[in-house]
Amino acid sequence: MNSVKLQRFLSHNTYVVSLVLLVVVLAINYAFQNNVLELRIINNNLRTLLPLIILAVGQSIVVIGGGVDLSVGTMVSMINTLLVTWITPESSAGDVALALLLACGAGVLAGAVNGIAVAYLRLQPIVTTYATSFIFSGIALWVLPRPGGSLPTDMVRFYRSLPFEIPLGFYVIVILIVFWRLLRNTRYAQYLYAVGSSSEAAYSTGVPVTLVRVSTYVWSGLFAALAAIALTLSTGSGQANLGDAMTLNSVVAVVLGGTGLSGGQGGIAGAIIGVLTLGVIRNIIFFAEVPTWFQTLINALVILAALAAPALGRFIRQAVRR
Amino acid sequence: MTLTLSARNLVKRYGGVVALRDGSLDIASGEVVALIGANGSGKSTLSKIITGAVAPNGGQLLLDGAAANFPNPQAARKRGIAVVYQELSLIPDMSVAENIWLSHEPRRGMGINWGEMRRRTQDLLNLFAGTISARLEPDTPVTALPPDERQIVEILKALSSDPRLIILDEATASLDTNQVNRLFELVDQWKAAGMAIIIITHRMEEIFRVADRGSVLRNGETVGSVDIDKTDERQIVQMMIEGAASPEDIRMPKFPKDAPVRLEVNNLSGGRLQGVSFSLHDGQLLGLGGLQGQGQVDLLLALFGAIPFSGDMILSGEKVHFSHPRQAMKKQIAYVPGDRGREGLLMIRSIFENLQLSSWSKYGLVHRRGEARKDALEMATDLSLVYSSLDAPVSSLSGGNAQKVVIGKWLLREPKLLLLNDPTKGVDVGAKGEFYALLRRLSEQGTAILFYSSDDNELLGLCNRVLVLHEGLIRAELSGERLTRANLVGASMGTRHELS
Repeated sequence: MNSVKLQRFLSHNTYVVSLVLLVVVLAINYAFQNNVLELRIINNNLRTLLPLIILAVGQSIVVIGGGVDLSVGTMVSMINTLLVTWITPESSAGDVALALLLACGAGVLAGAVNGIAVAYLRLQPIVTTYATSFIFSGIALWVLPRPGGSLPTDMVRFYRSLPFEIPLGFYVIVILIVFWRLLRNTRYAQYLYAVGSSSEAAYSTGVPVTLVRVSTYVWSGLFAALAAIALTLSTGSGQANLGDAMTLNSVVAVVLGGTGLSGGQGGIAGAIIGVLTLGVIRNIIFFAEVPTWFQTLINALVILAALAAPALGRFIRQAVRR
Repeated sequence: MTLTLSARNLVKRYGGVVALRDGSLDIASGEVVALIGANGSGKSTLSKIITGAVAPNGGQLLLDGAAANFPNPQAARKRGIAVVYQELSLIPDMSVAENIWLSHEPRRGMGINWGEMRRRTQDLLNLFAGTISARLEPDTPVTALPPDERQIVEILKALSSDPRLIILDEATASLDTNQVNRLFELVDQWKAAGMAIIIITHRMEEIFRVADRGSVLRNGETVGSVDIDKTDERQIVQMMIEGAASPEDIRMPKFPKDAPVRLEVNNLSGGRLQGVSFSLHDGQLLGLGGLQGQGQVDLLLALFGAIPFSGDMILSGEKVHFSHPRQAMKKQIAYVPGDRGREGLLMIRSIFENLQLSSWSKYGLVHRRGEARKDALEMATDLSLVYSSLDAPVSSLSGGNAQKVVIGKWLLREPKLLLLNDPTKGVDVGAKGEFYALLRRLSEQGTAILFYSSDDNELLGLCNRVLVLHEGLIRAELSGERLTRANLVGASMGTRHELS
């Protein structure tokens, strides 16, 4: 493979390095926890990670388009509270389907608010989505002031199921990747990468830059709704701040997956790998019997390292060239 | 396929500045028209209106006989007008094929037909076969390409939409001779196939090679159209300058002949510079002329240590090689940037802070603010700055006064060599006059000044001597009798003979 082809391969498959990292941490995890590759354990882990995987996919789309969405976690919380209000253990299948549909609608709406503020009012994505996160948080508290709610047992059981002896999460990941493969082949994806890479150049080429920007946040809202559905199925109940902590993790997963925060490159495979890596690292910290008070610190260091890695890599490359 | 385009009396104002007063142009299928004009004559504004990048404030654009109004570049492209941009419009992270077909990708159903896209890209690349390297393939990422090949991708991108009218805005600037020859062969083919072509170039020679007609602009006004085979360089230059406003009458004092040499430069290369040599005496005002982007700014930045360069730089007899502006500042060199808002000023901070920003080391570890304030006040008075209070933010000043703050900031450091990058751009006439008086005073005090200006009047009116840069080389060194407008404009278009 000559250098141009290699460059081409890596620029289209930014997750390769992340995949290597995942294998490494998985090997370390295996040393501490021999049963990590058993079906039952994988199913357990995947079930906990699935909401974040879905959320990180949405975050990837925003980041590729040159933005960032800091409201995804609170969107998850908001939709979680809505779901447990709409669905009760006695709900019929029809009611449940309607509730899930409405949840997706709420996500799209919340994302559109973000998108319009960022793209049409030209506000800073970080500030805007941080601000709207308080709106979503407020709604969540208003809908469900006290934790509670429960779902029909069939739903909870379905989420824990292993169709054809394969964890449910695998099917979701496959669906996500197929979705992305299809999307990647559309003109919309070309616009997305162009806007994230250089919005001026895209504009002068006739790309509808504003519309593309709005759409990235709408995607993010929709995926936040899907993540909220998964999270609600996983916990079986509601709480007004259930998803809040997922925001930072979704951004870290995207970066760990090789998608630069500067936009215009990367993909969703990286984000999925990033979430798995985060999960495995958490396992290691847990099974290495690190004192609890160190766990937060180590977690924070991992996050910092992930965020700093691309800049560090660039710095080292420049130093070597000199 | 056939097209007629007629621009009538187009006007474009930016705030109070008139970029285009009366722009007109006629072109039809099978014609090559060159838009000719000096800096600020409005030729790029006119072409931007035609491509929909800029909306006119007045006048009319007729396409195929009917009024046309393009709200954005896409609208113009849909009507068959494509442009090869001077500032590159490529997405660096994308491949050559993806860039060329962005927003009109060949499709199959909902998806993109990648095979078709690659094949058609290869067909386009084949047009330049033999003049480009083997690594320029449909799948190559644009970041991996050198400037000339990026420019070719840019040309092919414009061509990919099958335009009826193509505008080549300085499209040859970064191409080598073979590539230029190939492009002009293609232009002849396109013309024969019925395309209309507008070219904008800083090379007079190219106008005579490919154009059928030249449309000349002067001070934002279309002053005439000539058949290229019935004219010569001299007549075109005459049209570019005729009746232009006479230079302001602020002749600089003759600097003393025995003034010591402040700066000597030998064979300096870097950025666009291809090896320039000259010397500058104390108290001398040396002008840098030529069309924009010919290396003038690179020269100033290299001397200020802001971009890497090779060659010798001798400052007051001592050989120096700066690699950081801080080193140049220590040697009492000051650089006044052209883009006030971005490089020169902290817009939301006070006039006082801006003036003293680069001089704080003078006032001790814990700043003696009173003293600094007194100096700043003196400077503001010296510059006849119009302001409400030293604590008012710079954003509250007019353009001309803001520019005075930029200069004042450097004058407080008492520079011996002053590098000016088009300092009066966007400054009103009154403030310009005060600025000229200031230059004169500095010059009398013995400051050596290197002055790049895109305004030929300033160069003619103010400078003792003018170096005209063209493609990174000093094309002419004009002083005394030979410092005339015709020579200045002629040299900036790369003509080899002096015209007067």
